[in-house]
Amino acid sequence: MSGLQLQQLSRRCGDRLVLEHLDLAVAPGECLALLGPSGCGKTTTLRLVAGLDPCSGGRILLNGEDITARPAGEREVAMVFQSYALFPHLDVGENLALGLRSRGIPRAERDRRIASVLELLQLTALVRRRPAQLSGGQRQRVALARALLRQPRIVLLDEPMSNLDARLREELRPELRRLLCGGEPPVLYVTHDQQEAMGMADRIAVLQAGRLEQVGGVRELYTDPASRFVADFLGRPAINWLPGRDGTALGLRPEHLRPRPEGGLQARPERREWWGHQQLLWLETPRGTLRMLLPEGAEAGAEGLRVGWRAADELWFDAAGQRLSAEGPWRQGLESGAV
Amino acid sequence: MIPLLAVDLLLMLPALLLLGVVFLLPLLRDAWLSLHASTVVTGLMAVPNGAANWWRLFDDARFRQDAFQTVRFTGVSVALELVLGLGLALLLHRPGRGRALLRALVLLPWALPTTVMALGWRWILNDPHGPLNGLLQAVGLPTFGFLTTPSTTWLAVVVADVWKTTPFVALLLLAGLQSIPVDLVEALQLEGAGRLTILRRLTLPLLAPWIALALLFRIAQSLGVFDLIQVLTGGGPAGSTESLAMYAYRQSLRFLDFGYGATVLMATFLLLLLPGVIWLLLQNRLPRRTA
Amino acid sequence: MRALVLLWSLGPLLWQLRTSLLPPDALVGQGPTAWTLENYRLVLSGDPPLWASLRNSGLVGLGTTLLTLSLALPCAYALQRHRAGLLGWGVGAVLLAASLFPTVLLFLGLLEMARSLHLANSLTALCLPYTALALPLAILILRAAIAALPPELEDAARLEGLALGQRLRSVLLPLLAPALASTAILTFLASWNEYPIALTWISRVDRLTLPTAMARLAGSSVFTVPYGAFAAATVLGSLPLLLLVLVAQRWIISGLTQGAVKG
Repeated sequence: MSGLQLQQLSRRCGDRLVLEHLDLAVAPGECLALLGPSGCGKTTTLRLVAGLDPCSGGRILLNGEDITARPAGEREVAMVFQSYALFPHLDVGENLALGLRSRGIPRAERDRRIASVLELLQLTALVRRRPAQLSGGQRQRVALARALLRQPRIVLLDEPMSNLDARLREELRPELRRLLCGGEPPVLYVTHDQQEAMGMADRIAVLQAGRLEQVGGVRELYTDPASRFVADFLGRPAINWLPGRDGTALGLRPEHLRPRPEGGLQARPERREWWGHQQLLWLETPRGTLRMLLPEGAEAGAEGLRVGWRAADELWFDAAGQRLSAEGPWRQGLESGAV
Repeated sequence: MIPLLAVDLLLMLPALLLLGVVFLLPLLRDAWLSLHASTVVTGLMAVPNGAANWWRLFDDARFRQDAFQTVRFTGVSVALELVLGLGLALLLHRPGRGRALLRALVLLPWALPTTVMALGWRWILNDPHGPLNGLLQAVGLPTFGFLTTPSTTWLAVVVADVWKTTPFVALLLLAGLQSIPVDLVEALQLEGAGRLTILRRLTLPLLAPWIALALLFRIAQSLGVFDLIQVLTGGGPAGSTESLAMYAYRQSLRFLDFGYGATVLMATFLLLLLPGVIWLLLQNRLPRRTA
Repeated sequence: MRALVLLWSLGPLLWQLRTSLLPPDALVGQGPTAWTLENYRLVLSGDPPLWASLRNSGLVGLGTTLLTLSLALPCAYALQRHRAGLLGWGVGAVLLAASLFPTVLLFLGLLEMARSLHLANSLTALCLPYTALALPLAILILRAAIAALPPELEDAARLEGLALGQRLRSVLLPLLAPALASTAILTFLASWNEYPIALTWISRVDRLTLPTAMARLAGSSVFTVPYGAFAAATVLGSLPLLLLVLVAQRWIISGLTQGAVKG
C-alpha cells in the first residue's frame, strides 16, 4: 500500500471528541482537500498527521508503514502554516538552513539545496531579508520554499493562502499545484474556502464536528452530495431549501432555477445583484424566498415571472439530513415546480 | 514518545524546589518555633512550650501597639499611593513630548534601594539642618522635629513611603490604562461624553481589576514594612513608628527570643492572609484583566 | 503638572547630590558653600570602603540574575504548556502569592538555615535566597512572553527536527530576548536593593552589600551628622541603578506590566 492512510483516527481533548474515527486515504501525488467550517477537525487531522499532537486512537500509515508513534521531527513532513511560522529573528536564508543544519546535512549540500529552491521560487534576491521585511506573498513563498527543501514524504498545507488577498490567491493556486502536487508525496490541504478546495484538490473530504461527511471528486460532491450539510456547505450563492413532507427538504441550486413561460412557481423579483457575467435574483414565491442565478442576457421583468427546474436537479434529504432518492412520496406537492 | 508531563515537571522542578526551600521551609519553621521556647535561657534550643508564646502575644501591649501602627501605616500610605498613582498614571498616559524620559525619571525613586533613600529622607527631614526645616525657617516659622516628635513621625514615614512606591502603583495602573481599547473611548466621545464622564463610566470600571491587584500588592508589602522604618527612624521615637516585622526582628536578634520572634512573624503572616482572601473573593466580581 | 511631578520625584535625589558636594560645615550653615569632593574621598577610603560593598552587591546581583534566568526559563516554558490545566493554575497561583509576599517574614527561618548549613557571610550562598525571591515574578514574566509567541513557531521547529534543547536555544531564546532583558533587569534591581536577608546573613564588614553598608552607616551615628558622607554614599549607590533605569526603562516597564497582566 502506498500513499497515506488514516485508519479510525481519533483525537480527544479533555472529554471532547475533536475527531471521531476518521478513515481516509490519499494516493501518492494526490492532493486531498480537507474542507469544513471552523472547529470541524480539519486542522486537528493535519496536526495528527504531522505528529504535532498525539492521537487518542487509530493509526497513521505512510507507504504501508505505521508512523503513528513517530516524533514529528522524524516523519519527513513538510508543512505550510496559515501564519507561515517563519522565524522572525532569522533571515530568509537562515530560516531555510535551520532544519537542514539540525539534520546534520553538510554545508556544501545545504547551500546547494537552498540555492536551487530560492531560484525555483524567485527568492534569491530576498535571501538576506527578515520576515518582517517581506510582503505577505513573499512570506508565503518562503514558507513554500522551506516545505520544498525538505524532500518530504507528506506535504501538509494549513490554510496556506488565507492571509493573502483574493487576487493573489487566484494567481498562486496554479503555482502551488505545480510545485507541490503530482510528485511522489501525498498532499493534504486544509481550507475552509470551498473555491480554493475546488481549485486545488483532486478530491475533497468534507468534515463536520469531527466526522467525515463525504469524500469524493470535486464534481461528485457538488452534484451528488451525500448529506444536507455537504449540499449546504458547497456552492455559492448557497443552495435554496424548500420544505417537503414529513420533515424532508428539497435543495435547489440557484443556477438550476430557470424562467419558464408557464407552469412552475409564480415569482416576483425582490432584489437583484448584478455580477457582470450573471445576476443574482431574490425571488418572492408562494413557497418562500428563492435565490436564482440568471446568465448574462436573460431578463426577468420587475412585474413577475414563473420559475421552474428540472426534476433531475432536485436534491432531496430526510429529516436527519441524509440523501433521499429523487423519486418518492416526499415529492408530492412540489412536483409542480419541476418542468 | 516521552510523556510530556514528566518532562515538564522535570523542567519546573529546580525552580519549584528552590521556592519551597526559601519560602515554605521558613514559614513552617516559624509556625513550629512559635510553639517552642527558644531563648538564651534554653540555650537557644527549642523546647516545646505549648501555646505560651501565643498567650504572651495576646497580652503584649507592645505587639498591639505595633500591629496598630503597622495597619495605620498601611492604610494611610496605600490609600495615598493609590490616589496619587492613579493621577500619575493618567498623566503619563497622556501623549506628549518626552513621555519615555518622563516615565524613566518618575520611576527612579522606586528603583533605588530603600535603605539608600531612607538615609536621604533622614537628611531632608533633619532638625534643624535639613532642607525642609530650612524652608520653614526661611518663611519665619520655627523648625520642627519631623523625626523626633512621637505623635507625627509616622506621617514622615508615610511621606517617604509614598514618595518611593507611588511610581510602582502608577506603572501598574498605566498598564491597565493602556489595555483599554481606544475604540471604547472614542465611542463614548461620539456619544458626547466629557473627560470626567469617560473617567467615571469607562476608565475606572475597566481599571478596577488593576486597582485591586495594585492594592493587594501594596497592602501585602506594607504590612511587612521593615527596611524603610529601620533606617529612617529605627522604630522611634519612643517606638512610635515600629512595625510588626521590626518587632519580630528585635525579639529574635536583639533579645535572642526566637520562639517569640517567630510567633510575631506568624501573627503578621495571618494578618497578611486577610487582604489575600478578600482579593480572592473579589476576583469573580471584577471584569477580567486583559492585555 | 509635569514639572511638579518631576520636582517631587527628583527633588530629594538632587538634594542628595547637592549635599554630597558640600563640606560638613556648610551643611549645618556654618561655612561657606564651596563645592568639594571631600565626602566622596571619605566614603571611598573609609573602613570598609564603600566600593567594596558596591562590588559585593554587583557580584551578588549578577550571580542572582544568571541563576534566576536559568531556573525561570525552563520552568516558565513548561508551565506555559499547562496553562489551561489544574497544574498550571495551581503553580501560577502559588507564584503570584509568592511574588506578593513580604520577604521580611522569612528572615528568621533563613537565618537558621544559614547557620546550620554554614552559609552565613558567603556572597555566593546569598544568591540562593535572592534567586528564590526573584523567581516568582521572573517566571510570570517569561510565561507571559512565551504565551505571546505564536505556537506555530515551535511546531515548525519540531517539524524541522529540532530537539527540545535546540528549540530552546535557537528559537525560544532569541525570540524571548526582550522579556529576558526585562527579567534580568528587575532581578538585578531586586537583588541590589534587598535588605533584611543580607542584614541577617552577612556580618563580616568586608562582605556587606550596599543596603547593609548604608544601614550600618546610618546606625553607627544616630545623633552625629555625617550627612555629607551619607549623601555621597547615596549618590554612589544610586548611580549604577540610575544608569540602568534610564537605559532600560522600556524593559522594566514592560516586564513589570507583563508579569502583572498575565499573572
